[in-house]
Amino acid sequence: MSQQLEAEFIKQLEENQNIVHKICRLYTNDQDAHNDLFQEVTIQLWKAYPKFRGDAKFSTWMYRVALNTAITLYRKSTRRVKTTDYENVQFKITDLQEDDETAEQLTLLYGAVKQLNDIEKALVFLYLEDKNYKEISETLGISEVNARVKMNRVKTKLTNIINP
Amino acid sequence: MMDQLDILKEKWNTQDKEYPRVSADHIKKMLAQKSTSIVKWLLIIAIIEFTVMSSINFLYSFLGSPDEFTRELMDSNFMKISWAIHIIAIIYFIYLFYKNYKNISATQPTRSLMKNIIKTRKTMKWYIWYNIIGGFISGMVTTIYMLNNHPLINELMESGKMEGHETMFYVLTFLILTVIYIIFLGFIYLIYMLIYGILLKRLKNNYEELKRMEV
Repeated sequence: MSQQLEAEFIKQLEENQNIVHKICRLYTNDQDAHNDLFQEVTIQLWKAYPKFRGDAKFSTWMYRVALNTAITLYRKSTRRVKTTDYENVQFKITDLQEDDETAEQLTLLYGAVKQLNDIEKALVFLYLEDKNYKEISETLGISEVNARVKMNRVKTKLTNIINP
Repeated sequence: MMDQLDILKEKWNTQDKEYPRVSADHIKKMLAQKSTSIVKWLLIIAIIEFTVMSSINFLYSFLGSPDEFTRELMDSNFMKISWAIHIIAIIYFIYLFYKNYKNISATQPTRSLMKNIIKTRKTMKWYIWYNIIGGFISGMVTTIYMLNNHPLINELMESGKMEGHETMFYVLTFLILTVIYIIFLGFIYLIYMLIYGILLKRLKNNYEELKRMEV
């Protein structure tokens, strides 16, 4: 039974791992930290998995656990020297049809998002993942109205970062 | 003009393809690893606190060969009652900690999760305060008892060297011991503030940020 559970979990996580990668990239600055956080998210997901009843989509359930790990549970390794790996901060697009100007704009935008605080990042992340305000408010545990208000403030903040 | 963020949103999912994929095998290996989350640290620190705090008490009682006086003190009702209270208190704190600790789950909304972690940490804060205040009270009672009953002090008092200065002697001894005691307890308290401060600084900031949004 537990082996079956494990196999099932691994399959689900493997299929949905991009969600975790996107969160890791947003919350860490180098590849080591990225892998570290990915591992901690995996452990937390696995710990919570027996209580996952399948009444929600696996991916929906994942958002909450992964974000909670990134914002609250994960303890940054203090041993590591903090280096901002520029390569990693960049927003990578594989679509080669993009012209340079758009690519540059995206890099700039992504860089601005990375400058936000933990909570603001979570809001933006869920917004970019096309979650509605009801889902955003339920994930963070705040009211829908406040999620909306905060989102508008974050948008203003982003504009200010880009055009100081 | 189109919203800045919506430009990013439009292209957001194009980044999906270029992440290095973690294989099923690798995920399986990760499952065997231990968590390094702050909750894990909270548990480790709590276990150390419970062990160290209670062993200091035990060590204090059993250290060295007790003379007649210490044995008498240990046999007093005050000591017996305070030991009983202490043991009940430790059990109660362990129960409280366990109950709060069990409430922490990564599937909760972020704000509840943070709240539960802070609540668990507060249990340990009360435990430390209990030890500091309890230690202070029993230390003071023991000191007063010693000043009145210890054979060495009785001898000194009867020798006549202290004639006319008895009150001064009692007050000074009492004050010096109190100051030493307060410095010692303050030091312990500082260590705890430092440990928890480092561990929970980020969580506190984020919790404040969430709370600010609710105003």
